Amino acid sequence: MKPKVWLKSPKGNVLLILLAFLGIASAVSHDWGGAKNALIAVGSAVVFDVGCCLIERRKRIFPDGAFITGLIVSLILSAASPWYVVAATAAVSILSKHLLAYRKKPLFNPAAFGLLLSVPIFHAQQSWWGAFGDLPGWFLPVVLIGGFRVTNRIQKFPQVFSFAVVYLLALFVLDAGILPLHAESLRTGGFYDALRPPFINAALFFAMLMLTDPPTSPAKTADQIVFGAIAGAAGAVIYGLFGGLIYLYIGLLAGNLYQVLRFKFSKRPAKPARPESEIRPYRRLS
Amino acid sequence: MAKMKKKWIVLCSAAIGVIYASEYYASNAQAYLPQPGNQESLIAGNPLSGNSALSDEEGGSSSGSASAPPSTGAPSASPGPSSVNKLFNDGTYTGTGSNRRGSIQVAVTVKRDKITDVEISDFAMHYSESDVVDLPDEVLQKQSSRVDNVSGATYSTRAFEDAVADALSQAKIG
Repeated sequence: MKPKVWLKSPKGNVLLILLAFLGIASAVSHDWGGAKNALIAVGSAVVFDVGCCLIERRKRIFPDGAFITGLIVSLILSAASPWYVVAATAAVSILSKHLLAYRKKPLFNPAAFGLLLSVPIFHAQQSWWGAFGDLPGWFLPVVLIGGFRVTNRIQKFPQVFSFAVVYLLALFVLDAGILPLHAESLRTGGFYDALRPPFINAALFFAMLMLTDPPTSPAKTADQIVFGAIAGAAGAVIYGLFGGLIYLYIGLLAGNLYQVLRFKFSKRPAKPARPESEIRPYRRLS
Repeated sequence: MAKMKKKWIVLCSAAIGVIYASEYYASNAQAYLPQPGNQESLIAGNPLSGNSALSDEEGGSSSGSASAPPSTGAPSASPGPSSVNKLFNDGTYTGTGSNRRGSIQVAVTVKRDKITDVEISDFAMHYSESDVVDLPDEVLQKQSSRVDNVSGATYSTRAFEDAVADALSQAKIG
């Protein structure tokens, strides 16, 4: 694929937006630690992706997905994170893509999976600086514009809208105590926090740039709506009960799980992520 | 996959905008509600960045911030008589440090111009408390609110430093 054509593809589009976010956030904050982390994360993700593809004997090795995963990881982890935490988180993300797969498709969003595990394993601190979490609130429209562009390109508006509606309403319902879930985290300031930077930046970045990842999210409108609603509800409940910063990932992984179960119990076989011809068959042992 | 029509995109975006705006407005009230175990409002940020230190010539920062009231309403020990050379009143003072990722409240005990005890009385950061459990000991060791940045826990470290500085500013004489 020619570079010009690739840049117009959904992946190329996401990559350009992410690079723009990286440049803006670094330049405005005068902190280039995040850009350095981006190089480390992308390097680690690409190395692990190419390594896994070689082991799997794939004919086509083009780590564009790993590039995007690495960028997302670096934009979310704190810019002050140690290099080994950044590299390890990117590596875990890519490994999950190859190891946790169903019919050649990754089960879980790689970046979300890696970032979720990075908290208990590496004690990683996440700041969402690439979603302008440290910048004034008027940078929020930049996230919206970039996110809208990506969402429009991959036609995932139903999913983003259903996530947003369910997430916002669930936060309100839990905060108001309409559901007896004892969402203490919300009542002690969490509801206020959730609607303001950096949390609202995180939710928008997440909904438009992570939730919409084509390999790990559904294509049909009805499925998109259910997927977005599950992610929104699960995320809001986890946030309400425990607070913290990993609630969005858990929401997304809940949506991914729904996808897997849907595939497993549907009569129709799922379409593989890559054409079989691209995957070199394993050598027979006998 | 059918492409969503523009009018529906605009309509849905507007609806979500209305929901968000209503909740944003409603949540404003929460910002001023007293938090359990923390009399400070959630957003009452402590602008202290001077990081007062007992070992510093300047003593505590006196920026006149809306500092946190002591958790018990008054220092647990009555302030001792101020001597000419004394920089701080004896007693236990509560300070709060906050940023966009949450807040930390500490209780700092001062005796004869020395920090004798530091306790994290309320941890309301969106990160793990285990990141900063060693910081009170570091303050006692250095006799200063300035602590080494905990790798990967910058926001919690900053909030902790601000909380200690806030408490010391209240202890400061004059």
